[in-house]
Amino acid sequence: MTDSPYWNPRHETMARKDVEALQVRKLRNLVEWADSQVPWQAKRLRDAGVTADQIRSLDDLQRIPIMTRDDWMQGQVEEPPFGSNVAVPRESAIRYHMTSGTTGKTPIRVLDGMKDWEWIAEMWCYGLWGFGVRPRDVLFVAFGYSTFIGFWGLHYAGEKLGCLTLPGGAMATDQRVKQIVDMGATVVASTPTYALRMAQEARALGIDLAGSSVQRLILSGEPAGSIPATKKLIQEEGGARAGDTAGMTELGTIMIFECGEQPGGTHIIEDNYIEEVLDPESDRPVAHGEMGERVVTSFGRGFIPVMRYRTRDLVVKVPGMSCRCGRTWDLYEGGIRGRVDDMKLVRGTNVYPRAVEAIVREHPEIDEFQIHLYTAEGRRDEIEILVEIPDQEADAGGITARLEKELADAHEALRFGVKQVDLGTLPRFELKAKRLVDDRIVIGTEGERRAQA
Amino acid sequence: MTHEMKNLMDADLSESECMLVDVYRQLARTLEMYGDELPPFARRNGLKALAALWQVMNGLDMDPGQLYDVGA
Repeated sequence: MTDSPYWNPRHETMARKDVEALQVRKLRNLVEWADSQVPWQAKRLRDAGVTADQIRSLDDLQRIPIMTRDDWMQGQVEEPPFGSNVAVPRESAIRYHMTSGTTGKTPIRVLDGMKDWEWIAEMWCYGLWGFGVRPRDVLFVAFGYSTFIGFWGLHYAGEKLGCLTLPGGAMATDQRVKQIVDMGATVVASTPTYALRMAQEARALGIDLAGSSVQRLILSGEPAGSIPATKKLIQEEGGARAGDTAGMTELGTIMIFECGEQPGGTHIIEDNYIEEVLDPESDRPVAHGEMGERVVTSFGRGFIPVMRYRTRDLVVKVPGMSCRCGRTWDLYEGGIRGRVDDMKLVRGTNVYPRAVEAIVREHPEIDEFQIHLYTAEGRRDEIEILVEIPDQEADAGGITARLEKELADAHEALRFGVKQVDLGTLPRFELKAKRLVDDRIVIGTEGERRAQA
Repeated sequence: MTHEMKNLMDADLSESECMLVDVYRQLARTLEMYGDELPPFARRNGLKALAALWQVMNGLDMDPGQLYDVGA
């Protein structure tokens, strides 16, 4: 069994009816646990008329109220610092983590007990093993190891698998690149943006990263890991296969991973989660193949029971059998497609940052970019793409002209200005990239900002 | 010793899986009943092992419940 392509062969290949039966039983246990341990959850369940013994099929999930980030934050205000959705006294916790805070909002704070923390690593094991990581591998974790949960679970999963696990915290990018090469790392974990940043740094140092021993890149933290053009660029520059994953601080770990077949999507870890895809307006389930919002229920972390948590992530679910790997777990085709609240309306046209990135990344000469929204002459919304093109020999004028046309063609002829800027002008990112800057003002005011990007 | 054990999906567990289930149960029982009597190194390492074995129980569909009462 040690050569199994699956971390848990029985679960990953079980018949769909068995997956659902397992989920129903775990859901019943979760409702019972939350009802008995968390007064805030008990009230919500009581108000909705839900009891554990009434959970008989997945249809019963719909009766449980949806929980939002605002609910979570309100709980932290009312019962600081950890909120109203904590099932166990704080003394039972061994870990404290929080969201990255890149949005500037108050972070979500989470606690984990000992078995929760093991479970967090366990979920990463599904992803690492499924993408082909094995005990013989040398795993470099390009991550800052702070209170942001990030790749902590992956680190412990690497140890659990038996990999030689190298914690790449508190290092500058050049030091990380050198250590990857010097230590013969075969697997590197980072955000997609940082994978490109390391490749860029390697070039500057004269290091052939693509020719190094790295065989696999584990990506997480941004949707870009499943954007085909971005992924292609990462794979070419890193000389390795890139596998996408995605997780959330609210869950403590990943809930989806890309298998070794690289099917253009990510399998849902369905023995430990229920992932619903709902219409964000009506909250009704959408069919396979239609885009909707992820709403997650987690069976793992008992400290903070998560039932029907609204994620704001946009996804398209397709049946697992569409992948050749043999898993029966459904897939999110294209990974996380973006955020419900990512969309910007520019002169009546919807603009999604992910869609813009997909087009920009078709031009490998572009090293870094930024989407800039502003108000021209105090009355007209404009959108421009700022790009850095390091190769002096490249036809920068031709690239920007082509990009302008491609972006317009993909956005109902919306006019995009594409402007080359000096090298090093645009910010670089280690964690979640923030490439959209919205400087638009409320038209008719003296510069009152319309949105915080 | 030959075991026959089914999980909660009514699937047969293998002999080696059954042995791990037994180990988990015995460890959990030991920590519940005698945890306070054990020296720190024995109790804390026992809890850590229990937290790891919980993943096995979870993966085998044996509904291990929660471990906070025991300390894991």
